[in-house]
Amino acid sequence: METRLERKKMIGGRMSNESFITLFMIGVLVVLFGVSCAIVPRFYLPQNMINLLTNNWYIIMLGIGVTFLLITGNFDMSVGGVIAMTGVLSVWFCQDATASQNALAVGLGLPYGVAIALALLCAMGIGAINAFFIARLKVPSIIITLGTMMIARGVAQIVAQGAQRNTSLPDVFGVLGGLTIPGMSIKLSVLVMAILVVAAFVFEKKTVAGRRTYLIGANSVAARLSGVNVRRHLTSLFIISSLLAGITGILLSSEFKAGGSSRAMGYEFDALVISLLGGVSIAGGFGSVLGMFVGAVILSVVTSAATGLLLSPDWQFTIKGVVTFIAILAQRFALDKRKG
Amino acid sequence: MNSANEYTLRTQLERSNAVRSNIKKLYIYVVLVLIVAVFSVVKLGQVEFFGRGHFLSPDSIINLLRSAVPILTLSGAFTLLMISGYIDLSVGSAMSLSAVVFSWLILNGVSFLPAFLVTLVMGISLGFLNGLLVMKLRITPVIATLVTLNLFKGIALLIVPHGLSAIKGSATKLMPAWINDYARLDVLLGLPWAFYVAILVIVVLVIVQRKTILGKYAAAVGGNRTSAELSGINAVKLVWLLYIIVGFFAALAGMARASYMSLGDPLSGDGMELDCIIAVLLGGTAFSGGEGSVAKTIVGALIIVCLTTGLMTVIPAFWQTMAKGSVLIAAVVLNHLLVREKVKA
Repeated sequence: METRLERKKMIGGRMSNESFITLFMIGVLVVLFGVSCAIVPRFYLPQNMINLLTNNWYIIMLGIGVTFLLITGNFDMSVGGVIAMTGVLSVWFCQDATASQNALAVGLGLPYGVAIALALLCAMGIGAINAFFIARLKVPSIIITLGTMMIARGVAQIVAQGAQRNTSLPDVFGVLGGLTIPGMSIKLSVLVMAILVVAAFVFEKKTVAGRRTYLIGANSVAARLSGVNVRRHLTSLFIISSLLAGITGILLSSEFKAGGSSRAMGYEFDALVISLLGGVSIAGGFGSVLGMFVGAVILSVVTSAATGLLLSPDWQFTIKGVVTFIAILAQRFALDKRKG
Repeated sequence: MNSANEYTLRTQLERSNAVRSNIKKLYIYVVLVLIVAVFSVVKLGQVEFFGRGHFLSPDSIINLLRSAVPILTLSGAFTLLMISGYIDLSVGSAMSLSAVVFSWLILNGVSFLPAFLVTLVMGISLGFLNGLLVMKLRITPVIATLVTLNLFKGIALLIVPHGLSAIKGSATKLMPAWINDYARLDVLLGLPWAFYVAILVIVVLVIVQRKTILGKYAAAVGGNRTSAELSGINAVKLVWLLYIIVGFFAALAGMARASYMSLGDPLSGDGMELDCIIAVLLGGTAFSGGEGSVAKTIVGALIIVCLTTGLMTVIPAFWQTMAKGSVLIAAVVLNHLLVREKVKA
């Protein structure tokens, strides 16, 4: 332990820019939270704090994949579409095959486990398409993932015929999304999110693959020349990102006991916003999952404070946009000052 | 390797390059003709050629051209921006916002010309904001314009009164009927003013791209920004200007949409950025910038309009998203095969 501390001192004892930005955003969060408590009635109640941390669980789950991809310098805009697709597909696979006349009530009648596995496989398929075009053909990620976003949502719309599927489902379908941790009002989904965030944090800080992600983002040519299989790494990241979106889609559809083709509209943007708020830089090689989590809490503090101040929900888009720009510029300003 | 061998190799290479550049020059026209042909034949079973209801009937062609006005107006300027290596994902929302502002002004008693000019000025300021964020504050183009996409959409949603889906006339407040005059009224050959404005815009932008310094500089910046700056081009000002031009035409396109539908729908421009990207990629503009052609983008835009309109008559509406996504991916692959390879060779 002691030697470790000493070594840290010898290196210089200075925080990395990454920790600096994360701390900076935590500071911003504390200030925002303080201000909100002061001006919004009943903001400080413990239940509200729990809500702030947990209400956005689906965005945070998406944020994990999106953050890692942003660190490598790539976008993933397909996650919202993948949520809708896996949701609708898992319902369709599960629905009774002989139920009724209504086309939207007739499914494939597969057991729930198989249905989930197949839906997740389809989600990973979208990730594989992304990876093929981006890692192999070197097409800009923003274009391809916008295309696969439409394809994934298109599958959802075709299967749900532009509406939603919610009838003749087995009882087991609603179990996953409805489970809560005994004795607390926290959903299973939130626990899954927490476990995944911790896992992602460990992956990022403690594994070779995690560190390679940063190397690829900082300089992908140098990464390749120093023996990193950039293509394979990007491929796994894209598939993981789609898989996380798929898991989110399964949990959401189970919670609502329905698969809607317009579910998760715009979630890809929210996931991007929380990553940016957490200090992830698209220029590559910079950012952290912890920062992303802080960004998510900042966003929920801001939006819930705005709702508490009786702004109509229509303000959400505008608030998100302004907050993101302020955050990007503030982070850059803080980094410049630090160097200065 | 002996020289004869080398010679044949080189001629082979040149020949394959020539073939490829010919394919690159012509394929987009072939695609357009093919699509039109397919949709004509699909409908041929029901009605006679050029008859009513046929894909190539005068009515349907006029309808098609009228609905093509927004993308025709916008995609030329979008191409110039892409040639310079930058992108504006907020065009769709800028369009929606312009449509909403324009119809809000008209609904509240402003006459056509002032409303038109105010909306154009607003479009210019939207472009100015994008340029400021990207060029002055140096935020990555995709991120900056993705955020302004949501910002503009948010503002458009705020302008629309709570509980309504769009700015439209009500029992107490009628939308003046002349809002249609710009994009629906038959001026010449069944086509409205907005269409001829779009044609004028295209002609001007083709000339700008081919014959003026602006076009050359845009390509220079897209090819290599550093060397363009070293040879005296002010890239910041140039691209900023291009963002402003794109904002201007987004406003023009938005007003055409609003006038066509006689209402201001805050979601009416959704997806326009993707349509523009598809048109530009089909037109063979390199995604990284440096080369491209406004004229070919227009052909690409016509392809999209034919596809969207044609598909609507053939497949159910809920297949549209899938179809458009596949077209986008196909356009990327085509572009990749034809544009990238040439650079490598």
